[in-house]
Amino acid sequence: NPAMLKCVMNGSQVKVFGKAIQALSRVSDELWLDPSEKGLALRSMNSSRSAYGCVLFSPVFFQHYQWSTSMKMNDNDRAFNLNCKLGMKSILPIFRCLTSLERNVEKCKIFTSSDECKIVIQFFCRHGIKRTHNVCFQESQPLQVIFEKNMCTNTLMIQPRLLAEAIVLFTSSQEEVTLAVTPLNFCLKSSSEDSMDLTNSVYSEMSFGPDEFDFFQIGLDTEITFCFKELKGMLTFSEAIHVPISIHFDFPGKPMALSVDDMLLEANFILATLADDPSRASSPQSLCLSQTRKRSDMIRSNSKADKSGTSQTPECISRKSAPKRLYPREAATKNSAGENCGSPQRKKASGDNIFEVPESIVSDTEEGPGSPYLRKFSCMFFGAVSSDQQEHFNRPLDSLAIASDSD
Amino acid sequence: MKFRAKIVDAACLNQFTRVSNMIAKLAKTCTLRISPNKLNFILSDKLASGGVSMWCELEQENFFSEFQMEGVSAENNEIYLELTSENLSRALKTTQNARSLKIKLTNKHFPCLTISVELLSVSSSSRIVTHDIPITIIPRRLWKDLQEPSVPDSDVSIYLPVLKTMRSVVEKMKNISSHLIIEANLNGDLNLKIETELVCITTHFKDLGNPPLASENTSQNRNPEEMAEVHIDIKKLLQFLAGQQVNPTKAICNIVNNRIVHFDLLHEDVSLQYFIPALS
Repeated sequence: NPAMLKCVMNGSQVKVFGKAIQALSRVSDELWLDPSEKGLALRSMNSSRSAYGCVLFSPVFFQHYQWSTSMKMNDNDRAFNLNCKLGMKSILPIFRCLTSLERNVEKCKIFTSSDECKIVIQFFCRHGIKRTHNVCFQESQPLQVIFEKNMCTNTLMIQPRLLAEAIVLFTSSQEEVTLAVTPLNFCLKSSSEDSMDLTNSVYSEMSFGPDEFDFFQIGLDTEITFCFKELKGMLTFSEAIHVPISIHFDFPGKPMALSVDDMLLEANFILATLADDPSRASSPQSLCLSQTRKRSDMIRSNSKADKSGTSQTPECISRKSAPKRLYPREAATKNSAGENCGSPQRKKASGDNIFEVPESIVSDTEEGPGSPYLRKFSCMFFGAVSSDQQEHFNRPLDSLAIASDSD
Repeated sequence: MKFRAKIVDAACLNQFTRVSNMIAKLAKTCTLRISPNKLNFILSDKLASGGVSMWCELEQENFFSEFQMEGVSAENNEIYLELTSENLSRALKTTQNARSLKIKLTNKHFPCLTISVELLSVSSSSRIVTHDIPITIIPRRLWKDLQEPSVPDSDVSIYLPVLKTMRSVVEKMKNISSHLIIEANLNGDLNLKIETELVCITTHFKDLGNPPLASENTSQNRNPEEMAEVHIDIKKLLQFLAGQQVNPTKAICNIVNNRIVHFDLLHEDVSLQYFIPALS
């Protein structure tokens, strides 16, 4: 049996799906379609491995969602996922004119089977018109990124429109933008890398007060510089689906996450940030266990913010904690609760989405209210997973990708 | 040298933004002259602009609630600086919900015009936006080339038709010919003509009216039907017209036969003079 995917959407779902593809097209020219029991993930990674985007549509987003892995007999008896890589140039034009698609499309069917190496997108439109697109794909195992966004010291959540007003300031010629935060202030400004050389470029800065944010927690005063293009992409998507955008980050050099989360989908962009001058001592102090408790507190309050949906009451938890470091290696071995999750390598092979959103641990109904103890352990586990990659994150603009088994 | 000014009135801010948008459309780079009572946007680089010059003037007290300047010296109490016009208009783009605007001459690694806007955001907290626009200070020895151009003794002076109409006409003509003839008489007639080998197109504007004559002598002997004309580069005319987003309060065209056409506009309290020379 080949691996397969079949999903059905209505007009307004197509619009959101199309918007997700448009957002991911800002990251790179290639798109992976990666179905799993968690839903359909659309993934994209740029060639310099400095930006990764993933939009995960939960099965309940679709009118109908069906998928299966292939059962190929080989040494390990492993199930193979649909390893479907598409060119953005092929798929983007299909999802153009989204407003008219939303109006005219009654049903959209996307289906594929890996033995045919193509996906079929059918639009059943008004007046009995049916439009079919066959797009060939390349068999390629999706690259995934492990990033523990809830382990970040700094987390912000803001209505996209407010941030979009700031984006207007910056010209499209400016590639990078710098975000500077303190517990009392948020500032978006032109990257100072450029302005020294080009005496004709305008330096712009926009400051926001914490009360403009739905959630504002700064544990580390910092300035990070990242690519503007991807921020615009995520912002446009977030505005289109009317969901606030979250920003998770720590110190320069460590990747940051831009995310948008609602009941039906979850989008994450993981971006590399410019590292500080390496000669500067930027290594944070080691983390003591007591901070673990604070971490779970943050997650709990974070999830509260999410659960209340569009909570207008800003949560200004500002605290100057010692700069955190990713968990020490020893934690990995002590972990027993994390057994189900298995080692990172094995996880990838089983095709699970290793890009776990920590909120799901807390808000996952199967776990019930969940003991704080269990939560702490899960956090530690994910910290441990990340710590394996610690060297990656500390190196400037390094590759974010953890290549999958087959590479 | 010092300069700091502040605008707190929303209408003044909008008008100032409109002026900067207009300047950005008329000149890529221009000179800003700051004097105790006025601000001028000047384009006088005859070589670079192909002979076009521009003089825009506004009275500072019509805009600024606070205005302090200290020129190069006591005898020369003025500041001349050069900037990229688009940088200023883009910096003012965020002023829709502005509570106040401050402009300052600063030196941050290099001389800048710093624009600070205090915005009132939806959540009723205020936001500060700052733009540092790089500028070049123009030395005193070059000031003589940047003085107000003298208004030539024109052969014909006429009120312009609605600029939007003129613009759409010239826009279409641009595809057919690269140069255009603008002609007018003292009888309120203005024509825009293009001539090629294959075709000749003229748009006639009638009953425009002529402003009262400055000197009685020069035009007493002139036949009111007689046209004064200038051959000009059509792109330059189009650029001028594109800069006028709003119809001006007053718009006069002065033609010196075969020499130059001079547009004299008034946008509420901002005056604009634009000179397009004849093609040689």
